[in-house]
Formats: sequence, C-alpha cells, structure tokens
Amino acid sequence: MADFYQTGIITTLHRLGKPSLERLESELVEYAKARPLALVLPALYSEFEGKAMPRIIEELAKVKYVCKIVLVLARASEKEFIKVKELMSPIPYEVKVIHNDGRRIKEIYDTFRRNGLDPGEDGKGRSAWLAYGYVIADGECDVIALHDCDILTYSREMLARLCYPVVSPNLDYVFCKGFYSRVTDKMHGRVTRLLISPLVRSLKDLTASHPFLIFLDSFRYPLAGEFCMTVDMARVNRIPWDWGLEVGALAEVYRNYSPRRICQVDIAETYEHKHQVLSSEDPEKGLMRMTVDICKSIFRTLASEGVIFSDGFFKTLQVAYLRMAEDTIMKYEADAAINGLIFDRHEEAKAVEAFTSGITIAAQTFMENPMGTPLIPNWNRVTSAIPGILDMLKKAVDEDNK
Amino acid sequence: MADKADIVVGIPSYNNAKTIGHVVRAVDAGLAKYFPDKKAVIVNSDGGSKDGTSEVIKNAAIDHNALLIQHPLSMAHRITTPYHGTPGKGSAIRTVFQMAVDMGASACAIVDSDLRSITPEWIELLISPVLKEGNDFVAPLYDRHKFDGTITNSIVYPMTRAFYGKRIRQPIGGEFGFSGKLAEFYLKQDVWGTDVARFGIDIWMTTEAIANDFRVCQAFLGAKIHDPKDPGSDLSEMLVQVVSSLFDLTEKHSDKWKEVKGSIDVPTFGFRYHVGLEHVKVNVERMLGIFREGQSNLKGIWLDVIGSGDLGEVLVLGAQSDQDFRFPLKLWTRIIYDYAIAYHKKKLPPQHLIKSLVPLYLGKTASFVMEVEEMDKDGAEAEIEKLCMEFEANKAYLVNSWK
Amino acid sequence: MEGFLNLILEPVNEVYLKFKGFFPNLLAMLTIIIIGVIVAWLVKAVLLKFFKAIKFDSWCDRMGFTALLRKADVWAKPADIFVVAVYWFMIIGFLMVGFSALNIQAIDSLVSEFFLYLPRAFSAVVILLIGYMVAGFLSRAVLIAAVNSGLHYAKLLAEAVRLLLTVLILAMALEQLKVAPSIVVAAFSIIFGGIVIALAISFGVAGIGAARRMIESGGEEKKEERGEVEHV
Repeated sequence: MADFYQTGIITTLHRLGKPSLERLESELVEYAKARPLALVLPALYSEFEGKAMPRIIEELAKVKYVCKIVLVLARASEKEFIKVKELMSPIPYEVKVIHNDGRRIKEIYDTFRRNGLDPGEDGKGRSAWLAYGYVIADGECDVIALHDCDILTYSREMLARLCYPVVSPNLDYVFCKGFYSRVTDKMHGRVTRLLISPLVRSLKDLTASHPFLIFLDSFRYPLAGEFCMTVDMARVNRIPWDWGLEVGALAEVYRNYSPRRICQVDIAETYEHKHQVLSSEDPEKGLMRMTVDICKSIFRTLASEGVIFSDGFFKTLQVAYLRMAEDTIMKYEADAAINGLIFDRHEEAKAVEAFTSGITIAAQTFMENPMGTPLIPNWNRVTSAIPGILDMLKKAVDEDNK
Repeated sequence: MADKADIVVGIPSYNNAKTIGHVVRAVDAGLAKYFPDKKAVIVNSDGGSKDGTSEVIKNAAIDHNALLIQHPLSMAHRITTPYHGTPGKGSAIRTVFQMAVDMGASACAIVDSDLRSITPEWIELLISPVLKEGNDFVAPLYDRHKFDGTITNSIVYPMTRAFYGKRIRQPIGGEFGFSGKLAEFYLKQDVWGTDVARFGIDIWMTTEAIANDFRVCQAFLGAKIHDPKDPGSDLSEMLVQVVSSLFDLTEKHSDKWKEVKGSIDVPTFGFRYHVGLEHVKVNVERMLGIFREGQSNLKGIWLDVIGSGDLGEVLVLGAQSDQDFRFPLKLWTRIIYDYAIAYHKKKLPPQHLIKSLVPLYLGKTASFVMEVEEMDKDGAEAEIEKLCMEFEANKAYLVNSWK
Repeated sequence: MEGFLNLILEPVNEVYLKFKGFFPNLLAMLTIIIIGVIVAWLVKAVLLKFFKAIKFDSWCDRMGFTALLRKADVWAKPADIFVVAVYWFMIIGFLMVGFSALNIQAIDSLVSEFFLYLPRAFSAVVILLIGYMVAGFLSRAVLIAAVNSGLHYAKLLAEAVRLLLTVLILAMALEQLKVAPSIVVAAFSIIFGGIVIALAISFGVAGIGAARRMIESGGEEKKEERGEVEHV
C-alpha cells in the first residue's frame, strides 16, 4: 500500500508487499524468550461493553509471544472489576488487572501524594504509568507494548508489527510508534492533520528548525496511542497525565535517546476508533481540551530546550499556523478528490478555527504559568523517594488478582 | 616559642625509624640549598612511635642551620589510626599549624615521614610557589602508576573537581605547601575534634583551601614511593574514611558548590617528566568476584540508594563476561552522586552505606584496569578526564536532588 | 396468710435492697465508660490531626514501615492503624475501670491483674521494636562485610544472624509477657541450639572444600593481596 520513502530523522518501517503474520509471530516467539514482552492496556469499564473489546480479547487469546498483559481498569466498581477479570480469562497467558479504583490501588496513589509525588488526575497517562510501575516491580519483562482498547478494527497483526522492532535483538530500537491511515469514506485524524502538522511546521519556521520540531515532524502519526518501548525507557521517562500524553512522551523520548534508536511502523491497513466531539465553547471538554493540552506540552518542551516565547511570538504563530492550516486543507481536498472520499471543507475550516482558539488559550495559560504542564515523576524518582513502593504496588496488584 | 621563623616544615611520624632519617636530611638539604637566607624550622610531631623514630631524629645529622624541634603528641592524640596516611596525622598537623602561626612563618610545608623518594627539590617545589608566587596552597602532583590511586581517580578527584571547579589532581596527597595566612585559617576551623580531622585531614585541607577561595596551585614532585603499608589494611575501612570525609565536606560546603559550573586548571610548578614505575599487579578476577557477590546479595541496599533504573543497569553489567566487563562512566557518575545524596539524607548508617559501595567500586576499578591495560599513561589519564567531564556534566542532577 | 405473704415479699425486698445498694455502682460504671468513650474519641481525633501535621504516614513510607504493613496485606494508613490501636486500648482501659466500680471481687482481681500486666506488655513491645531495628542493623553489617570479603554465602550468613537474633528477641519478649515462662525458656533453648547446630553442620558440610582450599592456599592468598594496587 505504502511507498518505501524514508522521511525525517527517525526510521520508518513500511508495510511492503504482503508480510506474513505467521512468520512474524514465529520469530517473535523466539525473540520474546530473550526479551519478554508485557502488553499494557489502559481501559475503561465502558469499553468492555462496547464492540471493540470482545474482538481485542478474542485476538489476544491467539497470541503466543506475550509474557503477560497488564490491564489498567479505570472507572469500574468492585463488581465490574470481577467481571472484567472473568472476561479476560479466555487469554491463556498471565493477565493482571489493575483495579484503579480499588482500595489497595487508591492507597498506593495516596502514598505517592503524601510524599509529594503527584501522579495527577485519573486518565490514560496515569494508568499507563502505573502499569509501567507494575512491570518494573515484577521484573520479568524487558519490553512494554501499549495500545488503546477502543480499536474497532483490531487484529493481532497490529501488535506483532508494533513490538517486532523492539523485541527483535537484531534491530537496535528502544522505541517504536505505530502509524496507520485513518480513512473510511472520508479522512479522520483531524487533530493530527489540521493541528499538529501545521502547528509543528509553522513553529519550525519561527524557531529556525529546532531539532525537537524536526523530530516531532518525523512522526507520521504523533497522536497514535500505540507504541512499544524498553522497560528502561519506562523507568526514566516522565509522562504527562493530561491529553499532552502522546506528544509529551515523544518529547521525553527525544530528550533521553538518540533518534537512530527510534522508529515508527505501519501497523494497520485500516484503523477505526471512537471519535471525540469538537466543542469550541468549553475548553475543558473533548477535542478542545486536547488541543490546549497538546499545545502546552509542545510549548513547554521547546521552552525547556531554550526557545524563548513572547506575546509577539504567539501572535505571529497564530497567523503562521492559520495560513499553514489553510494550505493543508487545500492539499487534503485534492487528496480526497482523487480518491473519491467525502470532504466537508466547511467542517475542516471550522476545526481549524477551533484549533486556532485552542492555540490562543494554550499560549495564554503557558505565559501565565510556564511550568503548568503536569508531568508524572519518573519511576526512578519515585523509588528513591519511597523505597518500598514497587513492592507495595506489586503486592496490591497481586492481591487484587488472587 | 617566641622565636620567629620564615619557613616551617612539618613531618608527622609514627613508627618510621627506617625512613625518617632520610626525610629529615632531604628537608634539611632542601632548605639549605634553596632558602639559605631564610630562617627555617623543621617540626617533627610524633604519634608515640615505639620503634625508635625519635632517636633516629635526634641523631639525624643536621648539617645546616635549620632548627629541629621535636614535638611528641600527648597520649590523647595518639589513638586514631587511619588506614591511609600517618596515624595521628590530624593532631600532628594541627601542631604544625600552631607553631607556624606562633612563629609568624610566611610559608610552610608538610611531608610524610614514610617517603623514600623525597629529594631536596621537593621543599623548593612546595615552598617557592608560596614564597615567590603568592599562592596559599600547594597540592602535590605525582607521577603514579596508572593502576594506583583508584579511589582518588574514580571518586575523589572527579568529585572535588566537579564540585569546586579547580583541577587539583591529587586532593589527598600526603605533602602540602601552604602560606602562614592559610595555616591561621585552618587553625580557626572547628574540625579538630571530628572524624574529618582524624581520618580525612588531607582532603579537608585541599577542599577548605579551594572552597574558601585561597590561591591554589600544584607542584610536580615526580614519583611518590613510600614504605609499604600494612597489607592487612582493609579496603572497606579505607573507603569509609576517604569517602565519608569527602561527603562530610560536601555537606559543609553545599552553598558553595551548588554555584560552581565547569572547572579550570590551576597553575602547576615543577618540570613534568615520566618516571619509570614498578609494575603493579592487579587481581581483576577477585575484584569482579566481589562485584558479583555484591550484585547477588546487596540488591536491596543498592536499590534504596541508586534506584531501580541504575540498579537494572548494574545487574546487566554482571552478565558480561570478565573480558568484556566495562562499567559505563555515566552510570558510575550517577552512582556516586546517588551515594552522596543517600549520605546527605542519612538513608543508612554511614558505615553501612559506604561499605556497600565497595563491590561497585571494585567493579569500576576492574573495568578501568582492563580498559587501560594496553594504554600508556596519557591514555589512562584521558580516561580519567572523560570521567571528570561526566561528573561535571551530571552535576545538575545532584544539585536538583539535594534537598 | 400474712406469713405466706411475708414469705414471698421477703426475698423481693431483699433483692430490692441489694439492688438499691448496687445501683450507684452501676451508675458509676456507666458514667465512667461513657466518659471513657468520649475521651478516647477526643484523643483519637487529636492524635489523627497531630500525625497528619507531622506527616507520620510519609515518614513511615520512607522508613519502610508502610511496606511492612503492605506485605501483610494491610492497606490502612499507618497513622490510622496506630490511632485505632490507641483508641481501643483506651476503651478497654476505661471498661476495666468501669467494671471495677461495680465492686465485685472477681472482676476486681481481674482488673488489677490487667493493670499489673500493662508495663510488661509495654516493655515487650519496646523490646520487639528495638530488637527489630538491631537485628536489621547487625544482619546488614554482616551481609556487607561478608560480601566485601568475597564470601559466597554472605546472604545465608546475614539471614542466619537475623534468624538467631529474631528468635532471641521473640524469646525475650515472651519472657517479659510471662507467657508460660518455663516452656518459653525450654523452647528457646531447643530452637536456638537447634539452629546453631544446623548452621554449624551445614557450614561444615558445605564448607569442606572451601576450608581445605583456604588451609592449603592460605599463605599464597595473602601474598597475592600484597601486590595489589594502592587505592588512595
């Protein structure tokens, strides 16, 4: 489907020809003996009632190279937690369900807080972070893969392609991000297409191509929730707990590792998941909040790299972004036309408007409080502040799963 | 003690009958040759030798006009026996400071009494930078075998340098030159009853001189050959004494070193040359054996001190074969900084804490020995320089974690 | 007829008189218990505030006490556990005092025994606490020293030290509590002696080779060390 052109400073692994899933999986079984893999799944209870999860469980039950699944279950009652454990039981290898609202895990969160290590508000970032902690405490796995639980088009090939570059000892990658095209009868992925790409490129123009922006621009789908990394990386990276999670995680990867050891891989022909509603009035909600968090995360990273922001800079940025986004809409219009896809130009322009005001809000909040973007402390820091915390976490999860 | 003197040279001693005669003659000759017009006094403060050291001194032929004073220490000051340096050195040095101040000396020097390689030139090299160039503190610079002085090379030098910004290569050498002004300053410090004075007087003098912005320099003395130490001396006790002195000083000067960035060379006197040195035998296998024992048994303690990330890296190291064993410089830097933080936060009793560093230190030393096996001295020195740069580059980590 | 009535009324009267004598005692007991409960509540509330202010929980986290509790699958906050213990202790104390106000001999002796026992219980707890720390300290010292001298069985040695000390401390605490003292002493001697013999045998058997090597090569090993680097 795709071409084989390498863009950017990281490696891109394409889907070329018809790769055999059987070959991939049998190699993974071998490799995973030396570098065991833990699959982290941040999930809400509501997702178990949707269409996506049953299919994901069905597919995962067929996988043979995963050492264990760590599923972080959020927003679930005690009863629902027990039900989820039952639902996960068809999977023939070890599954640990972390009950995010259970009394033991709540006490763990409280232990962080009273020692001045705030893991932030409930969300995917915090859940993933806690799961990393468990994988570190458990000590059996060397590699962590993570994907969302709302993928309607899930197939186990996604997982195989996602973790292959990191699990394989012949390839020296420490981090691998998934990408895919999100096309049905129209193009999805507005935030990536119309916010991140134009924003990053206009910022690039304004900051004389800052290396972090080049790095960020190298990713075809920076917002993809699917990635795979070494456990060592999970120890040192600090991740944001808000919507800036994906971008913030990339910023930490950039900070700690050479781009030579980073790759992205085409994991799926098609990809479909739940959509966010665009709400331009209330910045606390949905896509708007996501926009603000993402922009703040980018600004903060650049500021920490020495880029100086001012009111004038942000004014210029808005104009530059707007023009870049309008150009982008035109490109996608042509792309849609040649492929016979539905393209609602008005909708797209409305989205850009919303994004522009999102950038403004993010700029304001950033100028008021540049340190405001929340980062969860990394595990190295946590373990040095509370020596027994990993044991406590392991005990809590293991007891919950008895 | 009302006599005045321009130069005071102190020789602390303890059971050094074999060598002290030579040392006194060398000092005397040096004073006569290079400072004939100055009034000089040699002070020997003895920690209660039982091998006739004081008789040797009494009989030492003083051919020249230097005045020799013997100053036995009182019983109370004799009990401490450090694993490096001379027993009772702290009190002995205090005596020298006191005499230097009383006599109004403008330059002083201290030399160990177990030296075999001392020459009259040493006195010139230690005193002249003070008398003629206006320096306050002269640290020694020796030509040492590339495997020698590993605590200095892998902990004390990089840390002192990164902390106080002055590149003093031998912060714990046994010989020093200093000005009268500095002697007075030292005397006023409130350390004389503490462990630092007992076990870490050398590092203390160096650090205080730099941290309080005295003018410091180094003098190249050639090879340092001294009487073999007691083979039973225990590495872990030695490490405890050196490293706890270092960390205590870090504690004391925390306001100072937080501000320092990078480091600069200090003026070096004397003509640098390489000395042919005896081959040093190193038992790498034994060191790695202890490192691996530590790895399987001290995990719990290490986890508390260095955190799980670095512990993971340490555990990975153990899986390497003996030949391929290399200790990453970054990792070592973080480990030392984490130990400094743990010491500061009193995570463990100091004895336990620093003793638990021994296997890591031996691992690092074994790695260094293999790394520089084929290198010449300059190559080995370049490796140490790399380590120092890591210490400087990662200092921000320590500054941030120091609360 | 009157005689018969008296026959009935007399015991009733007697019971009534007894009850009349007893009633103030009952009232006193209830008062004491109610006041006790109130006081215990107040103390509990104050202690909770106090512990929060001094960040007792956080201190426990850093010292590893919380981890110990969690190991036993206890997930309450350390301060809560402590405060609840104090609370119930006070309740029991006040109950005892209340009962003693009833002036019933059997209860009285029970109460006085209880209070006589308190200092013992307290010192047993202190012994356990100090012993726990001392055992940890010594076993760590042994562990580090053994590792640094390159012994293979460092962990075993340290665990043995800890085990011996733990047995010793438990025996001391039980001794304090006067729980079947003769049995405790006998059991202690047997266990302690047993452990020592077991260790001696296992070290002996496992160490035959090592001991032989040490004896045979004792001289050489020393020589080798002499040639080593100067560390300072």
